[in-house]
This record gives sequence, structure tokens and C-alpha cells, in this order.
Amino acid sequence: MKIEIRHHLRVAIGPDLTRAIEHLLLTPQSGTTQTVDAWSIEMPGFAEAARFKDAYGNVAHLVCQTHPEPELSVLVAGSVETHDTHGVVGKPDGAPVPTLYKRQTALTRSPVTVHGKFRHAERSGQARIPLLHQIMERVGELYRFGLAEDDAPEAEGPSQSQTMGTMTQSQTMGTPARPEGKAEDFAHAFIGAARALDIPARFVTGYLAAEDDRPAVFHAWAEAWDDALGWIGFDAALGLCPAERHVRVAVGLDAATCPPIRTVPATGAPEVLALSVTPA
Amino acid sequence: MCSNGNAVGSAANAAQEYMSDSAPFDEMYNADGSVRDPYLELDAWLKEQPAQALKLMSADAEGLFRRLGITFAVYGSNESTERLIPFDIIPRIISAAEWRRLSKGIEQRVRALNAFLHDIYHRQEILKAGRVPEALILQNSAFCPEMMGLDPAKGIYSHIIGVDIVRVGPNDFYVLEDNVRTPSGVSYMLENREAMLHLAPDLFQRHKVAPVETYAENLRRTLESVAPENRQGAPTIAVLTPGIYNSAYFEHSFLADQMGAQLCEGPDLFVEGGKVYMRTTTGPERVDVIYRRIDDDFIDPLTFRPDSLLGVPGLFDAYRAGNVTLVNAPGTGIADDKAVYTYVPEIIEFYLGEKPLLNNVPTYNCTDEEQRNYVLANIEELVVKEVHGSGGYGMLVGPTSTKAMREEFKRRILARPDNYIVQPTLALSTCPTSVKAGIAPRHVDLRPYVLVGDKIRITPGGLTRVALKKGSLVVNSSQGGGTKDTWVLEE
Repeated sequence: MKIEIRHHLRVAIGPDLTRAIEHLLLTPQSGTTQTVDAWSIEMPGFAEAARFKDAYGNVAHLVCQTHPEPELSVLVAGSVETHDTHGVVGKPDGAPVPTLYKRQTALTRSPVTVHGKFRHAERSGQARIPLLHQIMERVGELYRFGLAEDDAPEAEGPSQSQTMGTMTQSQTMGTPARPEGKAEDFAHAFIGAARALDIPARFVTGYLAAEDDRPAVFHAWAEAWDDALGWIGFDAALGLCPAERHVRVAVGLDAATCPPIRTVPATGAPEVLALSVTPA
Repeated sequence: MCSNGNAVGSAANAAQEYMSDSAPFDEMYNADGSVRDPYLELDAWLKEQPAQALKLMSADAEGLFRRLGITFAVYGSNESTERLIPFDIIPRIISAAEWRRLSKGIEQRVRALNAFLHDIYHRQEILKAGRVPEALILQNSAFCPEMMGLDPAKGIYSHIIGVDIVRVGPNDFYVLEDNVRTPSGVSYMLENREAMLHLAPDLFQRHKVAPVETYAENLRRTLESVAPENRQGAPTIAVLTPGIYNSAYFEHSFLADQMGAQLCEGPDLFVEGGKVYMRTTTGPERVDVIYRRIDDDFIDPLTFRPDSLLGVPGLFDAYRAGNVTLVNAPGTGIADDKAVYTYVPEIIEFYLGEKPLLNNVPTYNCTDEEQRNYVLANIEELVVKEVHGSGGYGMLVGPTSTKAMREEFKRRILARPDNYIVQPTLALSTCPTSVKAGIAPRHVDLRPYVLVGDKIRITPGGLTRVALKKGSLVVNSSQGGGTKDTWVLEE
């Protein structure tokens, strides 16, 4: 499926600065699940940005400005062809060893309720993939996706920005015990449970194309490791494996390790001025 | 007690008197009172010194150090924040053969630890092979995921290492800690030698002492050799310090000065276009190698602690982009973590296929119930260390502890068994030391300084720390330790 993406952000970097610096994880890579046909980022200083691979294999940009305007405009636009692989991402080159993703972080340590009932599953011979599906279902039973409140179309604007870039902040992290969760809460709960069962699992950010009553969002989900198939996507918030409507952008240990934009000076959430993720 | 102030009888008597309060291995005197070979000349020299000579020299030494301004800050002390580290004027002497053996063992360890760091931040073969427990590394706070897949220049992670070694017998050396993060104290080694040359030039004439003065030059060469591989011409080196309130600020400025490098604080550096620049009066100058004396968490607020004011925003990204070398690399702490320490013999065998040349101290793991029970029952004979502690803080030395301290540590071990490692109390060797009553044996350790770049350079000797309190085994300067000049004899 061909997907056109246009994502316009505003970062309130602050007045009267001598210098500002941003770490960007807003560049998708081609792989088994997607082919990036065109991609561009427009923002002050981007022409001189350093482009490199980060520890998780993401394409990162380091962008600097001298005497920046108080607000930076970031315009991301591109076109990606997605391929339905039933969520299988495989074993991409240049990615770190999967074992890295057994490391629990403050955000992924899940309460025992999620993984407790699966504790002996693998040892008693249960295959990993059905087990991962069960974990996804379990997470879905425990939390309700707070789509209506946060991601309703009319809220596209300031409150949309809550799911975008504030992922390092506590108000969106919440505790997974909260009955209503955001996408990253579902991802963290799934990841925490998988890791508790000694299964490597990682956090994924990306775009989710609009569908029926659901608006386009900058989204978060998880991937878990299978020795045979490699990485497999699990979107516990939607209760499905990503197919053609998910565009993968970046991966990390948790939301704090792969936010789309980090800045110095630190700012609040970038404001989303416009976001469209449209199947062409 | 052997004292130069008293009329001393026969040498043997004096030695026996000296030895009376020292059961452990003494580096100068054999148990029968005879003098060990490396110390023969020193022994003769000491006997020739007129009464009070050593005391006068000690006084001179103190004046010298005050003029040079070598002080250190003691955290948590509310008297004066700056204090002079006591210097003992009797040098410690190591024979050429002893040093050869020791330095081979150090080199082996340093090679293995760098190989370990490369593996841990790449393919993690040692974890796959089950030689080191996976969780010990992956769940360790000293493990730095941001380092995954990064290829530092020449594959070296820890370029500057200070291995803490103790001796318990003529050929028995134990490594206490590897200190592969940012070991300090090398300036004391250099200043001690300079002071000694002033105070006792005649003693040097009677020995062939291997020089330590080449350290700064070797440090510069080492740093230059690990400049980013894409960099042409002579690399620019900066020493990055947290600033004047850091306990080792003197050392930072001293080393920068000795190397002819710039001493910088975070705000003196900036990142632009993925490269690091230093502000100078003639405009920005590109920096290629940063010897940073700031802890990992604080080097870059963009990647690590956002509240750090000490670091340089974007520095880590510039490092990842291959445009600057950080010395030592972030994340090296996983190799000198006290819990990982117990696996160093495994690590040496795994990467080098060799048997370890230096001993590890046997270590009790308090998360194991049986070992923990042993520890709790025998705590008065053991040394308890916090896994992430340093500098002698948060440590219990059983034999010299009070009952209240032991009970407190038992409580702490039970509350957080994974936070402590426990080792037997080693009978640290003693060296003759100038004390109020004359000369007496005092316990010592040794921190040789190792540089790893285009080759491995180990400065002969190192910093000898001496516990000045009679019977004390804690040599840390923050806990009342002093230092000695350390001589390696050339053949």
C-alpha cells in the first residue's frame, strides 16, 4: 500500500537563544515491511545536519542552529510503500543483537498481572508466536486504548501533541495499571511482559494511516523476537500485528530511548500543526 | 621501633623491632630480619642519615607540595575542603624482575577488558557462550545501551586505566579493582617523583630508577593515536573537566598543562554540523580527541542526563558520527563493575585463551543464600564493599570495625544483597614508613597507570598509597591514607 505522509511540527525552543540542538529520529528505513520512496525533512539547520546510525540501528540526525527563532518549524514529508508481512520484520542488517532488548527499563517493568499466567509457558513447550499473541490479548484486556480522548480528529492540535514527543514525560508514561492507556503504555506493558519471560522485545515508533473512524496518528507499538522469523510487530493498542497501515520509523528499548525529537534546551511537547498519513 | 633519632643497635635487632608489629609480608625486611635485595641500598642510605634527617625531609616535602598546590577535596568534610595528601619520603622499591611479571599481568588484563567491552557492545559472544551471566550485563546500570554497535577508533574503549593491586607475598599479587572509567591520582605519582628528586638526589644516584616523567608525553601520544580515523593532520586534544569544584581539578589542569592540551569546561565546547569545536580567542577550533574527566551521565544533556550543565550538548552524537574520540569511551564502567569483577578470570580465558597472570580476590556473592549466611556469620573477618561505591566510602573492614558498624552492614546486606560484594581481608604487604616514632611498617597498595592506544604503555611503578594509621588496611586518601614514590629498578 502506498502511503503519503505529511507531518508538521512546531518546537517552542525558547526566545533569545545563542544555540539550540536537536536529535531527530524521524527517518524511516526500507526493509521487509516497507520501501521508502521519498522522504524529506525541512527545518532550520537541516542542510548541515550530521546523519548517522544510532545504537538501535535507527537513522538519526543531529541538527544545530545558532541564534534560532523562538519556534522551530519541522516539516516531515514522504511517501512509503508498505508490504503486508503479517507483522514479520525479520532480521535486518546492522541491528544490535536481540539480547539487548531483554534489558528492562523503568518504563517497561510491568506488573506481574500481565506476564504471570505465562510464566511457565515456554518451558512447558508452548510455541513462542502463539504466546506473544496471548500476551498481546492480555494487555488488551487490561487496558482500554484511550483513542477517543486523545486522538479524536477534533483534537488534532495541542492534545495530539501529547502523544507526540512527550513520550519521555511522566504524564504520558503513566502506570500500566491505569484502565485507559495510550499507545506507548500498551507497548511498554507488552514489552515488559515479554522481557519478563526472557523474550527480547522492543519499542517502535511510526505512523499509522487513518482508517474509517480512526484518525492518522504518530503511533507506538512493540516488536518481539523469534529465533526463526526475527522481529515480529505486535500492536497491543489495536490488538493486531501491523500490516499495511503501519510505517515504522524508529526502535528503542522504550519510549524514552527513541522519541522523535530531543532538544537542548529541553522543551515541552512539540506541537503537531498538521498530520496526514494517507493511503494513496 | 627503629628510629633514626635513637642510637640503633645492630641492624638485625632494629629490623626485629621493626617487624614486631607486622605479621604480613614486608617488602623491605625478611622474617629473619635480613633486608630483601631491592632494598639493600635504601637500607644502607637510611643508616647513614643523621638523626632527624627524615623528619626535616618530611617537613621540606610538605612545604614543597604546598607551593606546588597539590591538594585534594574531601567530600563530606566540613572543615577545610582542601587538604594535602600526606607524602611519605621513604620510597617503595620494586625490582626489575618483579615489575616484569606484574606488568605482563596488567597488560593481559587490560587487553582482555577492552576485548570484553567490544564484545559486550557488539555481538555479545561471551553472553551467548554463557561464560558471563546475561542478566549481570544487560540489567546492569553500568551497561550503556547507547554504545551498541559503535566502533571507537582502533577498537579501544578504555584508554586510561589505573589497576589497583595489592601484594600479599613475594610473588603474590591480587587485583582489587580495574578502574577502567576515569582513574585519578596520576598527578600524585608524577609530583611524588619530582619531590623525591628534590629531597633525596643522592638516593637516586645509588639506584637506577625507571623514569615516570614520560607519562604526559605518552598520554599525548596515546590520545593522538586514537583520533578519528578520517581526521588528517595533527589532532587537537582537549581535557574536559567538570570544573574547579571537582576533587581532581588540580589533576585535570596539571595533565592538560603537561601535555600542552587545552583544559575545557562544557561551555567552552560546542557541536556544530556533527563536529566538536572549542571556543578560542581566534575563533572556533575543531577538537578531535577529548580526554573527559566528567562521568558518563553528565557528558551530554541531549543523550544522557538532560539536567547536566557540565557536558556538551550533542557530544555523544558527534562521537557516534565518528567525528570525535571520547577517552575513555562511555559505558566502560561495565568492565570494572564490582559484580563483573568476579568474572575477569573467565573474561581473560575467553578472549585471550590464556590463564590469568594476576590473581583476583575471591569474592562472596550475597545473593546466594549459602554465601550470604557465611558472610553474616563471619563479617568481622571480611571486607564489605558497595557494588557501585568508590574511594573507600560505603565500605566495612571487618577486623577494624565496631560492633555497631557490623550490625549496620548486616542489616544493609540483608536489605539489598545484590548491592554488596564481600571479600576476605587480605594481609596487605607493608613498607617502611616514616612515622612519629621513627620508621614503622605500614600497609600499602599500588595503582599502576596504563595507557592503551597504538600500543600499551605502562608507566613503571605507579601510585603507592599507604595507610598511615598503624594496622589500618584502608589506603584511600579520603580515609587518612598517604602516598609514596614508587621505584622500579632497572637492570
